[in-house]
Amino acid sequence: MQFKDQVDFVRQHIKKNKMRVFMTVLAATMGTAFLIVLASVGFGLHDTLRKEALEYGLVTEITVYEKEENTLPEAYVDEFRDIEHVRAVIQERTLATDAILSLDDFESSASFNISDFEEKKKIGFELEEGRLPEAPHEVVVGYHFAETLQKQVDDEAVQYDKELVGKTIQIGMLNHAGEEVGKPLEMTIVGRSKAPTKEWVQDMSFYADATIIPEIEKILTKEVGEDQPIFYSNIAVHADQLENVSAISSAIKDQGFYTYSVVDELEQLDVFFLALKAGLVFVGTIAILIASIGIFNTMTMAVTERTREIGVMKSLGASPKLIQRLFIMESAWIGIIGTAIAVIISYGISALSNYLLPIIVTSALGEEEIGEFNITFSHIPWQLIVIASIISIGVAIISGWRPARKATKIDVIQALRQEL
Amino acid sequence: MITVKNVSHAFRIGKKGKEKKIDVLKDIDFKVNDGEIVSIVGKSGSGKSTFLHMLASFMKPDRGEIHVNGVEIASFNEVKSAKFRLENFGFIFQNFQLMPGLNTFENIELPLKLQGMDQAKRKEKVERMMKEIGLDHVADHYPNELSGGQQQRVSIARALITDPPIILADEPTGSLDSETEQDVLLLIQTLNRKRGISFVMITHDDEVARIADRVYTMHDGYLTEGAAQYAI
Repeated sequence: MQFKDQVDFVRQHIKKNKMRVFMTVLAATMGTAFLIVLASVGFGLHDTLRKEALEYGLVTEITVYEKEENTLPEAYVDEFRDIEHVRAVIQERTLATDAILSLDDFESSASFNISDFEEKKKIGFELEEGRLPEAPHEVVVGYHFAETLQKQVDDEAVQYDKELVGKTIQIGMLNHAGEEVGKPLEMTIVGRSKAPTKEWVQDMSFYADATIIPEIEKILTKEVGEDQPIFYSNIAVHADQLENVSAISSAIKDQGFYTYSVVDELEQLDVFFLALKAGLVFVGTIAILIASIGIFNTMTMAVTERTREIGVMKSLGASPKLIQRLFIMESAWIGIIGTAIAVIISYGISALSNYLLPIIVTSALGEEEIGEFNITFSHIPWQLIVIASIISIGVAIISGWRPARKATKIDVIQALRQEL
Repeated sequence: MITVKNVSHAFRIGKKGKEKKIDVLKDIDFKVNDGEIVSIVGKSGSGKSTFLHMLASFMKPDRGEIHVNGVEIASFNEVKSAKFRLENFGFIFQNFQLMPGLNTFENIELPLKLQGMDQAKRKEKVERMMKEIGLDHVADHYPNELSGGQQQRVSIARALITDPPIILADEPTGSLDSETEQDVLLLIQTLNRKRGISFVMITHDDEVARIADRVYTMHDGYLTEGAAQYAI
């Protein structure tokens, strides 16, 4: 029998029992939609947290921390650079004490940092205007630095709104007691960094070159004491590609340091959500299994009702395999149609829940800002559709298998004796 | 064409361990030649239907051989039996055994579908057959919209559609009135002469047995050639 004829045959029988088949398809649809929507919550939350992790950090950056005392990572910068696939190792130092930055009558309390511009260039650090420092008293400021420069006029804060590059800024060092010490350093702003790619990031930094360190140490060593740090140091190792982050991170750990990277966080997140999604799919599968009882019932009734027809088919020469295939096709059809409808419904529910949830949360908490949070409550990736389809259609076929086997075992003579 | 040697069969009834054995077929020898109409007559319960089911390979004998066109079919498994039936036999049943959900055209077409024939070829063949049997005016009628005679004609057309060399008929006129019976018998005779198809017919009707070239009588599980011992 040609496949097209087999499909026609199945279609004819389904048409004869529209209501019963409809109810069975409905059960299959509900079970499958339940699975998809339930699991989509796991996928949605995973997606949201992944996006968040990726937005708040550079994905190829590995931050290194000391594990034991006296093994400061800054002493190992060259070793880190030698690790395969490391693009750059940036050591940034932040002044441990406060400093007051003055330009004309304006003052800023932006943190004073010392960075390695050659290494920063390797990871794409670019300037909006000006150039990088070439002498000890030259600095680069962040794109939004001007916003930190303010003065009081008639009890109102006025912001600096003139050109920065080329201006000389005075740095007054403060000790731990907040008293200005030494002679203020005079530094020239030679460049302003490019605007951060993320709109919500504000770059208010103030970066000098490492050549200024001896002068600062000269001023502050006496004030803070020899055993106190003048700078807090931060080492960031940058991988050339995302897939090499794990290997580099392991290599650094092997040298006796702690590391943190967005990839580490994502890996932990992925493991957690894999377990969560598997759990949700499992719970959803139970709903499909309940629906499968309906399919089993429908198919068993179909076989019983068609005993005489099966007998006639067999007497005419239909092979047992064909009979079995026809019934399995019928149960598979129920599964396929149920799944197709469930997929459409699930996308609808998913879209609706993503639209309604922020509104509900906003009205419940009475805070408009909540609605602006970019939370994906439900997300249905194609993988979920594939998983749900395999489970749903698979369960439908298994449910129809036993009735189909029963059909093949029908005795021709007994079947032909049955009344219409 | 069909040669049956020493076929015996018994039914076992009752619970396992306390089974009762009833011999239904006893050492049967039987032969059908090409283009012959052979009739098997006998009382109800004599075993003639069981014997026809053996020929059709619906069931297997306990003992003996059944050769059809030189092929021993008694040892076939279910799959082989089905394939052999599809290629070699046509069936006519007393109660027609038409598919209620299929119309005349589709009922006649069914064996061709099972053979996997193309739709265009099927259409041509079924239309020709309906014309020959006189069913073309009821092509889209369903079985419950047909008379008994028309239903049996559909059943005969379905049996003939695959051009089988042998047609097995179980009481082909058993559900028909005498006038329709004559029509169906005439049709069988015509088909036999025109197409050279062999017919094996089970009947307890004198009229039906009369069109046969040879008559066998089944009595208490024994099959003998000739109508001499035929007594209903």
